[in-house]
Amino acid sequence: MDVKSAMTRARRGLREERRLYIVAVTSLAVAFLCLGATLLGVTNLDAAATRWGQSGRITLFLKDDADPQDIAQLRVVLEGLADVSEVTHVTPAQARASFLEEADVGADLSSLPSEVFPASLEVTLVPGVTRERSESIASRLAQFRAVSDVESYRSWFQKLDHLLWGARMLAVGLAVLVVFCVVAVIGNTIRLAVARRRQEIEVMKLCGATNGFVRGPFVLEGMFQGFASALLAVLALLAGYLTLHESVDGTLAALTGSRVVFLSAWTLVALLAGGALIGAIGSAVSVRRYLSV
Amino acid sequence: MQGTKVVRPFPFFRAGARASQPQLAKPILVLEDVYKFFRPDQPTLRGVNLSVERGEFAFITGPSGAGKSTLLKLIYRELRVDEGRVLFCGRDIGRLTDKSIPFLRRNLGIVFQDFRIIDHWTVYENVAVALEILSMPQRLVRSRVAEALERVGLAGRGAERTSNLSGGEKQRVAVARAIVPEPALILADEPTGNLDPHLAIDILTLFEEINTTGTTVLFATHDHSLISKRDHRLISIDEGRVVEAQHGLKQWPGSGIHTLVG
Repeated sequence: MDVKSAMTRARRGLREERRLYIVAVTSLAVAFLCLGATLLGVTNLDAAATRWGQSGRITLFLKDDADPQDIAQLRVVLEGLADVSEVTHVTPAQARASFLEEADVGADLSSLPSEVFPASLEVTLVPGVTRERSESIASRLAQFRAVSDVESYRSWFQKLDHLLWGARMLAVGLAVLVVFCVVAVIGNTIRLAVARRRQEIEVMKLCGATNGFVRGPFVLEGMFQGFASALLAVLALLAGYLTLHESVDGTLAALTGSRVVFLSAWTLVALLAGGALIGAIGSAVSVRRYLSV
Repeated sequence: MQGTKVVRPFPFFRAGARASQPQLAKPILVLEDVYKFFRPDQPTLRGVNLSVERGEFAFITGPSGAGKSTLLKLIYRELRVDEGRVLFCGRDIGRLTDKSIPFLRRNLGIVFQDFRIIDHWTVYENVAVALEILSMPQRLVRSRVAEALERVGLAGRGAERTSNLSGGEKQRVAVARAIVPEPALILADEPTGNLDPHLAIDILTLFEEINTTGTTVLFATHDHSLISKRDHRLISIDEGRVVEAQHGLKQWPGSGIHTLVG
């Protein structure tokens, strides 16, 4: 197949069928936009999870009858660990004051005695400590005599992991749906284009055109539709990101400690190349089915 | 042309000096005991034997539904023979694979009654498509199309939309498209059927001019006024059988033209 000739004819086809293709590209751009928005959500959740995972914290709840010497010894051990950056001793009174300050349960809790709140050691880990390392430190600290319980915030991470897994599954599901959408929409668009250009096809066949020569422009047109739809979606997403990120950034930073990020260059390339590839496949399937040459 | 691939699978099929002497000596088209059935009990063509020499001009005639178009369709492989053989340049085209059919058609020029040109394309685009299929360089396409348009009397009108042309001009565009790849054989299926008598003669003359350059022409028509004006070989199909006269109606056997075209 002569690619240059196919491109010339594809350009002519796009020009002649522009209304049909504009409708198809717009519909597909919406599908790609949904996928892109989900990927953006996954990217930001992933960034937050990574950030939380790297800024680890462990709380050691101390026994009520813990010996102050044991507590002091524990602090020395903790401060000697390379992974620990800071250790703070929180007394029951401090814990109660902090709780009363932060709690917003709509009831009067000022009558709660200090004994309800156990003393604790708040351990801040150095940045970059992995979640596995944090778990390992927590399980070793639980062996100390003065420690009654250890909170490594594992359940929080598990919840975040579940959320991330759900978002990823949603993205995968949407990606599959988008593939079907693109194949179906482009397939039908090409089917219509084939029907409208039947006379041209017949003339080319009578002049000795091979299957590749006749089908080539349709495949290129499908490829262009897929690419244009993905590009339109990316541009819309970028416009939305640039408009909203400043207002969202502060809130997100306060909540998760991470800033809003846009899709990575690789994701963008994958979206555009994927759009073109799926468009070409959808078109090739359609011309094979509806264009007997 | 250098460095550009031009697809000409059977160059020896082409008209003019390119064919070798032994090939020139052989008939360009041979039909051997050809049968074509659309209904099992009633063959459209029954035992057709025919030989067409290179450079010949022949009318194919007969009443409507006699099988003229069927015969031509067997040659450009729109249809496949049920029995017998169709040999084009010695090659049995009934046995060509589907992938080989385009390469057969590149050696044929086909013209129809309904023109089959694309109305929203320009005259140039309608003619150039036959060369673009051969992956010919654009420079060469331009010069060959200009030459073909000049031969059919449409010089300088390449930029016009074909929708603006008259019936006779549209048929000239179709003829230009048929001749531009310099085919060995032109098949014209009722090319004057949609034209008035004056234009019909013009188009017939155009085909005769093309024939003088060495291109073989098979001209199917049921218009006896055209046939009677020329002394070309006459191949008549009636009820699926072929009757021939080498020099037109003057030599036609039997009771005259009415038995010929119904």
